[in-house]
Amino acid sequence: MGTSTLHLEIPASGVYLSVVRAAATGLAAQLQFTYEEIDDLRIAVDEACTQLLARRGSAETLCIDYHLEPAELRVDVSVEAPDRGDPLAKDTFAWQILTALTDEVSERADDSGLHLSFRKHGGRT
Amino acid sequence: MSDLPFDANAATDPRDPQAVRDHDNHFADLEDSENLTEDLAKLSSERGVDRAYAKDLFRRFVETRNPALREELVGIHLPLVEYLARRFRNRGEPLEDLIQVGTIGLLKAIDRFDLEREVEFSTYATPTIVGELKRHFRDKGWAVRVPRRLQELNLSLNKVVAELSQEIGRSPTISEIAAKVRLSEEEVLEGLDTSNAYAVISLDAPAGGEDAPTVSEHIGSEDEGLEALEYRAALGPLIAELPERERRILYLRFFRGMTQSQIAARLGISQMHVSRLLNRTLGVLRAGLLAEDESG
Repeated sequence: MGTSTLHLEIPASGVYLSVVRAAATGLAAQLQFTYEEIDDLRIAVDEACTQLLARRGSAETLCIDYHLEPAELRVDVSVEAPDRGDPLAKDTFAWQILTALTDEVSERADDSGLHLSFRKHGGRT
Repeated sequence: MSDLPFDANAATDPRDPQAVRDHDNHFADLEDSENLTEDLAKLSSERGVDRAYAKDLFRRFVETRNPALREELVGIHLPLVEYLARRFRNRGEPLEDLIQVGTIGLLKAIDRFDLEREVEFSTYATPTIVGELKRHFRDKGWAVRVPRRLQELNLSLNKVVAELSQEIGRSPTISEIAAKVRLSEEEVLEGLDTSNAYAVISLDAPAGGEDAPTVSEHIGSEDEGLEALEYRAALGPLIAELPERERRILYLRFFRGMTQSQIAARLGISQMHVSRLLNRTLGVLRAGLLAEDESG
């Protein structure tokens, strides 16, 4: 299986996080993630989205890209933010949560906005 | 009886102001019930509870504080708890959980009951039990009613995930769960979504039956680490307000890197219980974060 990408855009509000979680859950199930891996993933998705929502400024949209790879899901969360500060400082509890739950976390700020990404391995195929 | 936890010190949860407001309307119908006293009278006569015997038990319990007498008193009055708990069913929580919550109220009432008051124990205990049940819903911010089909699915998934984990020695995949419950993966996923959106664990249930230690007995050795967690986090004040067990789970998961299953084994609760506590705790912390954000 090669890489597939799904793109999701939601209004920048916590109300829609259930949709973001549900999508992550469905994709992880396709990759044969275990229940516990899925649960970690859901928490990580929630955390990343919440962190960017907290920094959304006047942005109206939150974007989530899911990249499906063999035995791995990569999630990129981004928000257009006028404020070009760090998406997430590395000495925060949120960063700690993301690194504990996933295999690699990264953040960057560029012209398109603030990005928070992580990859999570999993699956039993 | 033996599977009911008698831990009246079960952790309480931070409260959601909106839920508190909702709850007041939510339970108005219960308060208004005029038949309650009548029903209760009927209940005890149907059960044939021997009042003199119960009174004697109480007298002996007050004198000796013997746990065996306390347990017997619980047994005698359990129908009252069941009766009251049933009035809260169809609000999205399994009846057995409600009975556990109500039992905590019963225990409080038993411990506080004063024979001098000359009121029937059931009259005295009812507000305490109902209060405990109401607090339970209020603490959970339980505003949404979960469709019965999803409640049932969720309950069976809880069981199956635990069984499969035992069987295969690791957390099961969705397709393994689906095969076991003979449902489509789609349906299982729907059930799991429900699990984290709505379902909550009401109490500390000892993992291994009667003799298993309760969660609180496990706790009490890692305080230094928890202190560190507070300093490292901008969320310090919010974390400090969490119940100790929730803080400990945060610490073990995020700073010790233990998996949910490992934490579950350590605390003597199920992995799904850990999952819910973790999800709920993070929900509380995030709510605080976004609230701060919005206010300034």
